[in-house]
Amino acid sequence: MEILVCVKQVPDDSVEIKFNEKTGTPVLDGVTPIVNAFDGYALEMATRYKEANGGTITALSIGTEKATDALKNCLAVGADKAFLVSDESFNDSDTLATSYILSKAIAKIEETTGTKFDIIFCGLEATDYSSRQVGAQLAQLLEIGQVTAVLAVDPENKGISVKQETEEGYRMIEASVPCVLTITKPDYDPRYPTMRNKMAARKVDVPVFTAADLGTDASKVGANGSFVKVVRNFAPAKKEAGVKIQEESGEECAAKAVTMMAEAKVI
Amino acid sequence: MYLLSDDSKELLADVKNFCKKEVMEQSKEYDISGEWPAEIYAKAFDMGLQSLEIPEELGGVGLDSVTLSALYEEMAYADAGFATTMACNNLCVKPIMRSGNAEQKKFVADLVLAGKIGAFALTEPMCGSDVGSTKTTAVYDAATDEYVINGRKCFITNAAVASIFYVTASTDKTKGAKGLSGFIVESGTKGLSIGEHENKMGIRLSTTSDVLFEDVRVPAKNLVGKEGDGFKIAMQTLDGARPFVGSLAVGVAKRALDESIAYAKERVTFGKPISKFQALQFMMADMDISIETARQMVVHSLTLLDAGMPFSREAAIAKCYAGDMSVQVALDAIQIMGGFGYSREYPVEKLLRDAKIFQLYEGTNQIQRIVIAGSILR
Repeated sequence: MEILVCVKQVPDDSVEIKFNEKTGTPVLDGVTPIVNAFDGYALEMATRYKEANGGTITALSIGTEKATDALKNCLAVGADKAFLVSDESFNDSDTLATSYILSKAIAKIEETTGTKFDIIFCGLEATDYSSRQVGAQLAQLLEIGQVTAVLAVDPENKGISVKQETEEGYRMIEASVPCVLTITKPDYDPRYPTMRNKMAARKVDVPVFTAADLGTDASKVGANGSFVKVVRNFAPAKKEAGVKIQEESGEECAAKAVTMMAEAKVI
Repeated sequence: MYLLSDDSKELLADVKNFCKKEVMEQSKEYDISGEWPAEIYAKAFDMGLQSLEIPEELGGVGLDSVTLSALYEEMAYADAGFATTMACNNLCVKPIMRSGNAEQKKFVADLVLAGKIGAFALTEPMCGSDVGSTKTTAVYDAATDEYVINGRKCFITNAAVASIFYVTASTDKTKGAKGLSGFIVESGTKGLSIGEHENKMGIRLSTTSDVLFEDVRVPAKNLVGKEGDGFKIAMQTLDGARPFVGSLAVGVAKRALDESIAYAKERVTFGKPISKFQALQFMMADMDISIETARQMVVHSLTLLDAGMPFSREAAIAKCYAGDMSVQVALDAIQIMGGFGYSREYPVEKLLRDAKIFQLYEGTNQIQRIVIAGSILR
């Protein structure tokens, strides 16, 4: 199987990020850029799939030159090839514009390498803006199927069998390929890069495609090509310390919660 | 701070991430139990943290010493015992990489790259700093072209988990220090056994044991260098390792400072956080001054080492200053945190127990002062 994993470089969300009220933007100075956590799960799942069933993994990212680090990190933990898409005209793209750029990049990579991707892995969401739209929009633009919130994937006949997380639990889905999968957190963590793989990956030259290389339509990318306009950014209100209710059953928990709320005179 | 290349910064970020997720919190439990955290080490060995000092031509990553220092500091920031295990493995690797032949180097490199670790067996019950008084003997048996080793080593880090030992033994008692020789001994060799485990005050995620040699036969090809080179090799090894003891000491001290800062910002007395009181600010500034000074002395000694220049005096200064500094900074962190600092609920009392070792192992700080005095009174 030819596998593509789309990755986004995001600010490290394991540290507290401050918000500048004056500029209305998060303060990202000194915050390390990392591979989006869900994309890390996607790459790990893709790598396990490759190890079990064979195949090749290509990693793709849109970003500045700095995003090359994210791609090299992918090369250190399972990706065989990596491509960066970088162009100033892509700045401030919304999810649809991003999906459009990705679709053009996929076509370009397929043309350059002479292969067709069977499975396109995306993270369920990015931990910076959490929109959960790119995977679905990409599938639409590529006119192929999609399964969201995927926990596991295995080969099945000529396609794949996918375990999807639902609100009630999970369900098994068979899908034909090519298709797009958006990956949620499985019951394992991404592997750590070995020191040797890391240093080898650091030496790889990651090819960069520009808007001209992809032949993107300028009216469909960047701020001009975006339907979503950001009106205002603001920091979430600080939560006060909560109370943990741990009773034997759900009914007892509910009863205790109601009693506590009554005592606090909020109901 | 360290001036590192982009590649080194990336490696450092990976090691930091690993230590934060897999070592820092988990170490509390093992510090109390004193058990060897096999699962943590298995993950660390998978990542290759034991192989940092294997040269590139033998399949290692070929790092410069300043990068290594930054990585060791990060490991010690999470847990000094964990960092000690890695550093002491390299005490076994170093003499072989420096003085071994091509076959020996490849043997050790392949073993370490495969996730095995080594131990450096030098200290004996009656000779720690006085290496020339080594009692362990290695007698050549011409009939079998082997050396027969007899004796007892003590305080050997990694002994219980090592696959190989670098052993210093006397091949000629009449020559004292000049009669010492170094050998590669594989674990499992008949007559080699692990004795009592030390129940240590600190660095409890590392394992330290006696090693007994009873007619242990090793092939003559396991002799590292020539007969009589053992003292020189051991001293060169310890010289080269000293700055990294400083790196570990800096890591522990930095953690102590960070823990005390975090506490001081939260702890409110007399209506404001105690970090607002100048008396404590001065303490924390002094801690920072001494940490950064130690770090830069470590970096300076390693820069000399990598440049192939004499560095023994600087390495001794770095180890000695960083070791003393680490204990003082851990004490100050406890002082800032008051009774909470004395409690096992908070990590700083552990940091003090860990820091103490840096004044003791790989040459006590008194020995370092002898080295320094020797270099200025020549």
